Amino acid sequence: MATTTATITISSADIADNAISVSNTATLYTAGTDTGISETTGLGRKKVATASNVVLLDGGLTSGIAADVTADKSAKVYIKNHNDRGDGTKYVNILLAAVEIGRLYGGDWMFIPWCAADGKDIEFTPSDATETTLEYTCFYE
Amino acid sequence: MATTTATITLSSADLLSDNMSLSATMNLYKNGTTATGLEQLNYHRALIPTGTNFDLIPESAALSEDASYVYICLKNTDVTDYVKISINSEEIGRLYAGDWLFMPWDCDLTHATADSSIEIEAFTHDATIEYMLFHSGETLLTAGD
Repeated sequence: MATTTATITISSADIADNAISVSNTATLYTAGTDTGISETTGLGRKKVATASNVVLLDGGLTSGIAADVTADKSAKVYIKNHNDRGDGTKYVNILLAAVEIGRLYGGDWMFIPWCAADGKDIEFTPSDATETTLEYTCFYE
Repeated sequence: MATTTATITLSSADLLSDNMSLSATMNLYKNGTTATGLEQLNYHRALIPTGTNFDLIPESAALSEDASYVYICLKNTDVTDYVKISINSEEIGRLYAGDWLFMPWDCDLTHATADSSIEIEAFTHDATIEYMLFHSGETLLTAGD
């Protein structure tokens, strides 16, 4: 089995009267076990120049990069908007199926669990048609 | 303005044939700005009983069309314990014991059939969670008494 860890550190010296620093490390296990996740899509990089909706990870398909992701388990997805922040108005909307989760501005990243069920695609919609570059990976069983 | 950073490191020595190590750091900025940090924070610890799907972070007009960021960590230690995280009746995924998530959140108040609150439901055992919301404003309720 493999050992894969995801560590987050959130820190600020001035958002409150005292500095805050929150750090946690998750070891990525298969659902309900302490056996390490052993599969990944690998690190992907996707460039688009459209303001239309784009499917990043297709849930429930029998082919494609996410075809082997078992639904309703413990899959995890990392996505980063690789663009520069620019003037702060360009972003990508991240969606689960048709439901908006939130906006990744240039330089932003996210790390979420993914149910990966049929039709529960992870999609994105850039705020304009200039070039957008995302990096992403999925760990799964 | 405040300066808040979030850093992720993904690493494994044996998932692939070579070491994998990926790291990224972001600043938590306000919508439409180049370098103005979010100034407001909610930081909670809560016990989520099993059997009910709860609104963990309620939707709010003040959070709509804006840049907010959410961190949720399941503090349970039994590996069979998990919580389902959902939004607008769509399950995002499951956090098992020790897992965390960090994601942007934009309330979509236009959805007619469901709200965009972040929901949570605990399975197997009651769940102890910690969660943070970085945001640029809350809809405050006028006192009724």
